[in-house]
Amino acid sequence: MSGGIYLENGKSQLLFKDKPIKILLAKPGIDGHDRGILVLAKAFRDAGMEVLYAGLLPTPESVVETAVNEDVDVVALSLLNGAHLTVFRKVADIMRSKGIDDIALVGGGTIPDEDKPKLEEIGVTGNYGPGTPLSVIIEHVTTRAAEARKRKLSR
Amino acid sequence: MELKSIVEGIERSDTRSVARAISIVETESLHVERNLIIKSIYPKTGHAGIIGITGPPGIGKSTMIGNLCKILSSKKIKVSVLAVDASSPFSGGSLLGNRIRMQENLSRYGVFMRSLANRGLNGGLSRAVWDAVDILDAAGNDFIIVETVGAGQADLDIVNLADTVIVVLGPGLGDQIQAIKAGIMEIGHIFVVNKIDREGSFIAIKDLEETLAFSTQGEWKIPVYGTNSLTTEGYDDLIRGIMDHSELAKSSMEFRKKRYREEMRIVMQDEVSRILNRKFKDMILNGSELEKLLESKTDPYSAARKILKGSTVKL
Ligand code: B12
Ligand SMILES: Nc1nc2c(ncn2[C@@H]2O[C@H](COP(=O)(O)OP(=O)(O)OP(=O)(O)O)[C@@H](O)[C@H]2O)c(=O)[nH]1
Ligand SMILES: [Mg+2]
Repeated sequence: MSGGIYLENGKSQLLFKDKPIKILLAKPGIDGHDRGILVLAKAFRDAGMEVLYAGLLPTPESVVETAVNEDVDVVALSLLNGAHLTVFRKVADIMRSKGIDDIALVGGGTIPDEDKPKLEEIGVTGNYGPGTPLSVIIEHVTTRAAEARKRKLSR
Repeated sequence: MELKSIVEGIERSDTRSVARAISIVETESLHVERNLIIKSIYPKTGHAGIIGITGPPGIGKSTMIGNLCKILSSKKIKVSVLAVDASSPFSGGSLLGNRIRMQENLSRYGVFMRSLANRGLNGGLSRAVWDAVDILDAAGNDFIIVETVGAGQADLDIVNLADTVIVVLGPGLGDQIQAIKAGIMEIGHIFVVNKIDREGSFIAIKDLEETLAFSTQGEWKIPVYGTNSLTTEGYDDLIRGIMDHSELAKSSMEFRKKRYREEMRIVMQDEVSRILNRKFKDMILNGSELEKLLESKTDPYSAARKILKGSTVKL
């Protein structure tokens, strides 16, 4: 596929000019704290992204299945119940077992600092908690989306 | 993924190939790749029945599609879904909210579903939906269900895309018909009053039957069904209606011809404006000819016609 002009020009504006960033928001665990994720959904939309929200209680399997069907650039995982290590890893594992490397994983919620390196290691980045400015989150998502989109276009 | 493997994947009905192909047809700058994909798969199209679902916001379209997926899948009928949502005219972003209402049935029956943003297009569809339908058709689906934006605007484009248009309304009909504009009463092959668990649905069905009493679509008599999409009450009749109408649509070439004609019109329009944007603008609008026209105070209408007529740019 010729994504030539896009790859050389590093600017993400061009990369997303005629196809906005597509992002799936999910809470794949028993966790009823949905205020944060709803705030993010609106913020991402207002930043020009095409946003899917998977609702409460989707399984890691259905999160990956949705991400593939919708061919999103980013999956944003949010948990405030303390289960992030196991659950985010499950999602990352399913993606790896399917050979999916052109969808970025970002995380957030109540994640203690000592867990962040472990999540980074399995490819889940960001891991922002309460009080993070939305602009920081949007910038991080945009950077990760650009990496994923370049991968999609380079084949 | 290579284009060749995407095309082969579509013909094998491989989910990731289908999903990636739809991303490509959604990306205007990848039109060369898009054209190659559609050209390669087009001979494989023509099998699927296309069902359009339209109606006012929140009436239950997505929930209904989830139920249809469940019932059709359990009859071993292969079905996929495309659902269109509106993009914000301000940010260009969108909340794609249709999937959540059908997710359970999609997962359970392994149904492919794709949400599409309309990217500012009026008429209830997105530009890419036409290509996405071809891709899903070539992937061997028996039915493709398309949900329109349903934003209270006139979602009339579906009449050219779908073989069977289902208009979903609910109790408190008068206001809804106002809200969705009269045109929509003329595009339905099947009418459904959903939420019959709510008060006023019996009257709504009667009203609708009276309104439609003298309407037909060719030889097809337009039926009105009542459904409760939380319990699937009324779905046996609805499914029978869909099957009957899709038989009828298949037996005549009219529906395919109508779609082909409209698709061609859209493609021609795109092609012309692409050429206009890429070639004319640079070659003529910035050239010395422009200055001459301005100096001689040629009005814009005459000037444009003159440039287009005298142009050596090949369309
Ligand atoms: C409001 C609240 C509730 C409400 C939730 C209402 C709702 N519908 O959301 C109610 C009262 C229902 C509730 C219940 C419970 N809660 Co509570 N709740 C909170 C509280 C006070 C605020 C959460 C909130 O809404 N914040 C506002 C939103 C906008 O911020 P946010 O969710 O943090 O999201 C932001 C960031 O974290 C980040 N972010 C979040 N997700 C993601 C994802 C990505 C990808 C990125 C990049 C960023 C990101 O961006 C968001 C926007 O800025 C927190 C304490 C706290 N200060 O965080 C406790 C807290 C989350 N709750 C807690 C607990 C234990 C519970 C309960 C189990 C029982 C209890 N003790 O009350 C139940 C369980 C409910 C359930 N079914 O899951 C604990 C969790 C501890 C843990 N992690 O182990 C907390 C931390 C309180 C505490 N210190 O003990 N809770
Ligand atoms: N009581 C009742 N509620 C229903 C019925 N069908 C759907 N609903 C509810 O109506 C709400 C909207 O349903 P959706 O399926 O999202 O409606 P929609 O027409 O797709 O909505 P938009 O896509 O936003 O225009 C949901 O809360 C459904 O659970 C029904 O038959 N009876
Ligand atoms: Mg809907």
